[in-house]
Amino acid sequence: MAIYSFWIFDRHCNCIFDREWTLKADSSSGTTNSKQNEDTAKLIYGMIYSLQSISRRISSSTNSVKTISTGKYRIHLLPTTTGIWFVLFSDLKQQDLSQVLQYLYGEIYVRYVARNMLSPVDFAESTNETRGQGFRKINNRNFIRAVDRFLGPMVSQL
Amino acid sequence: MEGNNKSGSEPQLDEHTKLQHQFKLFQESLPKVSIVAYQLLLNELVPLSVSIENNIQDMTSSIEVSDEDTSTETETETECELSEQLERMKIEEAALQPSHKLIQELYEANDSKRDHIYERLSQIGFQIGSKLTELLIYNNNPNLHFESMDLLAVMKFICRDVWKQLFGKQIDNLKTNHRGTFYLFDYDYQPIQDFSLDGEISEKELQMVEPYLEIPCGIIKGILASLGFKGDDQVDVTVSFVDIPKDRVVSPNQFSKGINFNVQVTRTE
Repeated sequence: MAIYSFWIFDRHCNCIFDREWTLKADSSSGTTNSKQNEDTAKLIYGMIYSLQSISRRISSSTNSVKTISTGKYRIHLLPTTTGIWFVLFSDLKQQDLSQVLQYLYGEIYVRYVARNMLSPVDFAESTNETRGQGFRKINNRNFIRAVDRFLGPMVSQL
Repeated sequence: MEGNNKSGSEPQLDEHTKLQHQFKLFQESLPKVSIVAYQLLLNELVPLSVSIENNIQDMTSSIEVSDEDTSTETETETECELSEQLERMKIEEAALQPSHKLIQELYEANDSKRDHIYERLSQIGFQIGSKLTELLIYNNNPNLHFESMDLLAVMKFICRDVWKQLFGKQIDNLKTNHRGTFYLFDYDYQPIQDFSLDGEISEKELQMVEPYLEIPCGIIKGILASLGFKGDDQVDVTVSFVDIPKDRVVSPNQFSKGINFNVQVTRTE
């Protein structure tokens, strides 16, 4: 299995999108925006946040973590200036997926969320939904379909 | 001698293709803007109209209230009151509403408010349309011959040049009964292509997209008006969603409905 899951975090420390694949053979398997992933999302956010802050402290403040590898998987990161984090989990064979993340940001997120007048751009509607307390997700049809169509073929990639 | 030969071969070029070539060069020299920025601004017209309507309603209600208070007082006092009211009428820095909230509000609004907002959008479109004609004529397009323009030619002008200028594409299909009724079909109307709500396509989604169709309606009316089809001529433009024909190749995430403009021009002789 080449990629395992895909997450988006916004600048209010909320997870606004998650997509997890469970079966290698079936790219439509798994969960989208699942309630059960809430705690996992917080753990992921915490890990990325801490590593990011370490990397900033030992180098310049513009330094940022691109990939995190463990013994079992590798995490690819794309932070944007607007504070959104695109996070992709893959197996260890994938060296660099920054192009993929760029595409997810530029061609899918921008198009189906930012340019969609019916969809919010900021997913925390009031101040008590900031600081990681938010529950809103990107549920819009075009976005989910586009993500699935783009990442689906990579799920079973060798 | 050689120079003469060259100049001799040039007139063989068709006059029309030469004009086309010149027009192309001219268009390439024109200043360009980002299509995304333009489209975002165009789309922002709908939330803008809603928020203007909200502001006006707030203002009139506050004036009505103060009118009742001052009715018993003398005239000199009401003059002071008037200036006070003007002070109050300054648009205060209201809590900014995000655009998607305003569109949601329009969807839930009552009929009279919705009519007001649709009217405003149509007016904006009308103004754009009536000015756009000047721009396109000034552009000196060799395809256009305005001297001999009948209604059908004007509709063709809308389908080709106006749509190309505004939305980067032409109308997909034009039907007419040659008696003043025209159907203009656009199967991928650009500004609404990326719109979608949660879940499957629904009535609600279509209703929320509906205000976006008022602007092109107004534009069509404005262009017809600026080319002389107004006053005694009754111009009526309505718009509806239509299914995309089956033989048409659709891109995977495009808006699932086409748009149909129904233009009625009746001449009272």
